[in-house]
Amino acid sequence: MSSPTLDLDTVDLSDRSFWGAPPEQRHAVYDQLRRERPFAFFAEPVIPYIEPGPGYHAVTRYADVEAISCRPALFSSGAGAVSIADMPPDLNEFYGSLISMDDPRHGKIRRIVAKAFTPRVLEKLVGNVQAVADDVVTRARRTAEDGDGTIDVVADLAAPIPLRVICDMMGIPDGDRALVLRQSNVILSGGDPELVEDEEQMVTAFLKAGEELAGLMARLAAERHAHPADDLTTALVTTEVDGERLTHQEIASFFILLLVAGNETTRNAISQGVLALSEHPGERARWAADPGLTRTAVEEIVRWTSPISWMRRTATQDVELSGQSFPAGSKFLLFYGAANRDPAVFADPHRFDLSRDPNPHVGFGSRGPHFCLGAHLARREIGVAFRAFADQLPDLEVIGPPARLESSFVNGLKRLPARLTGVR
Amino acid sequence: MTRVVVDREVCMSAGVCEVEAPEVFELDTAGRLQVGQPTDLTAVETAVRACPTGALSLVED
Repeated sequence: MSSPTLDLDTVDLSDRSFWGAPPEQRHAVYDQLRRERPFAFFAEPVIPYIEPGPGYHAVTRYADVEAISCRPALFSSGAGAVSIADMPPDLNEFYGSLISMDDPRHGKIRRIVAKAFTPRVLEKLVGNVQAVADDVVTRARRTAEDGDGTIDVVADLAAPIPLRVICDMMGIPDGDRALVLRQSNVILSGGDPELVEDEEQMVTAFLKAGEELAGLMARLAAERHAHPADDLTTALVTTEVDGERLTHQEIASFFILLLVAGNETTRNAISQGVLALSEHPGERARWAADPGLTRTAVEEIVRWTSPISWMRRTATQDVELSGQSFPAGSKFLLFYGAANRDPAVFADPHRFDLSRDPNPHVGFGSRGPHFCLGAHLARREIGVAFRAFADQLPDLEVIGPPARLESSFVNGLKRLPARLTGVR
Repeated sequence: MTRVVVDREVCMSAGVCEVEAPEVFELDTAGRLQVGQPTDLTAVETAVRACPTGALSLVED
């Protein structure tokens, strides 16, 4: 993509509409930032009732993302990793989970659930993921048959698979799953006007969504205390760290993190993977014919889509990066989608190549203690989902442009219209 | 003889090593990393390099 030169002074990564535009535009900006302004500085987005901070540096080179990520003592997550502004205390109640914590506390809390996300444990879960994917695909075909032959890839395929898998792992009753989907959509909406109608009420909407999920957690926690089960919620409410149970706030925010992260990221990898395959029919045909391609194909989908656009780090002292100095307190957003197209690491980075190997992408985060807890789960879900689509939905055809989420944080689709040509 | 050393303070039980060299690395039911004697050194070296937290190293005794 050697696109014409843009005027970088007119680019504002804090402008929500930038993120609703087609990804080609975003990648042209990333490419130029990487070349010309690898630590470009931006003012913080304006959010009603939140005190804007001093601004942030957008990190777009792979090497710099890695250099920051792997030195957590110098580049802290504790001041907030998932928001540009420092989190106000009332939001911290629900969203101040281990993702925004530093070690040693982060490690101690993470290890409570890490045992449920190991490759061997998840291997046993594959049968369940397969059953979920088969059922979702069957229902999607029925939806098309009962209607006009069309489906929404997001609502009918991409959303239900990870939702059902993470809710199964956490022991969320069927009746509460619609609420989980609704609230996690709000939490990761980035304030998209379709999901948060009144921008003035954005903080209130985030608080309310957190309260709803925390309420679900409180109800389940009481049940699990009385009747422990073999699920993650039981692990959260019964495990002790340094001889102490987690606080209510720690449990609530961890519960919300697992639900939201387990849902939104994989959903957007799947929906945008479907889109990428429809735009690259040769690759789609190659994968359909060769299941052996799945391992590298899954990695390429994660690299290509980079479902989480950034995480934030904050300098704990004066630091130097690639010869530039930054004062203590500087904020850095690590733009994973930019690092994942860095030509210094990826040959022909804008080529969608399902057999790309090696593929050291940072779609699950770069090196460091915050590397995605759910990486092995996401890989399995994506692999199983796309094999199911290839085998059972060979007639799936995308028929219109996607509706993109206007969020800088989540690279997501709200809708992707498609039809099953075999239906009629 | 080559053996693997785990920095327990740094290990986050991410399980990347287990994917790269399952014969040598296993997270037990408590999520704690168990390490066997390296046989296939190439796979073990890959696992050491791939560890996202840099918790693994190889030492020669």
